[in-house]
Amino acid sequence: MSRPLRVRITYCAECGYEPQTLELTGGLMREFGHRLSAIEIIPWAEGTFDVRVGDELVHSMARDGGFPELEMVYAAVRTQLAA
Amino acid sequence: MSTVTEQRFRQGMTFPEWKDSMTRNRDMVEAQERRITLTPEQIAPFRKKPLHVLAIGADWCPDVYGNLPVLARIAAAAPELDLRVFDRDRNPDLMDQYLKEGKFRSIPVMAFFDRDWREVGVFIERPASVTALRAEKRREIFASHPEFGSPDAPVDQLPEDVRARLMDELGKMRESTMDFANAEVVRELTTIVEKA
Repeated sequence: MSRPLRVRITYCAECGYEPQTLELTGGLMREFGHRLSAIEIIPWAEGTFDVRVGDELVHSMARDGGFPELEMVYAAVRTQLAA
Repeated sequence: MSTVTEQRFRQGMTFPEWKDSMTRNRDMVEAQERRITLTPEQIAPFRKKPLHVLAIGADWCPDVYGNLPVLARIAAAAPELDLRVFDRDRNPDLMDQYLKEGKFRSIPVMAFFDRDWREVGVFIERPASVTALRAEKRREIFASHPEFGSPDAPVDQLPEDVRARLMDELGKMRESTMDFANAEVVRELTTIVEKA
């Protein structure tokens, strides 16, 4: 049985980041379907756009700047699914 | 330096039209309008010369529904200010002339022009003094609430109930700094018009 893998997206709900959040969420749904155990969306503030795959923070707007490349997030998911 | 023509400027909304176009947070704008009090001395610098003011905003942004009403209240008391408001995402040609640090579409933008359409000065987002005060208050919140963890840690690792309490504390902090923020916006806008 494969290990459950959750992706968590924390976005600034005061910053108009809904389109990027939904684009990433939709992309993950189409790319991985039920191979992900959950995609969790956390509305926050303070200019946040963080993406955590399993326990790993793969993107942080505060740390890395800007929004993540979708392919980078997909690659992180593939790596953890294969582990 | 931006290029804005009179024809392009006239395509903007008046402040009441912008309020009518809002899909959310109109109550926040109107609460701000009621909250802001301006003395004749504060209004006087804005009455010295006719100026056009191009504002760019969006109804989801707290800095817009916090700071744009300050300008609107000044403009209501100073008919020398000719204010037009543009939606950020529908007007990229204007927005991209006013990127914060050359890359961020930060709002509100409030760009002042003289009668010959020479740019006098620009206000973007919020005063640095407000950002600094709120950062200090934020550090104090984390220092007095160890359950919130590190102020630099991603919040998704906090339990939901703790995260909700943190959001409450941040909201109260923002409210407690509102009068300072409004005064600072007036001060920065005054500095701009005094250069005209």
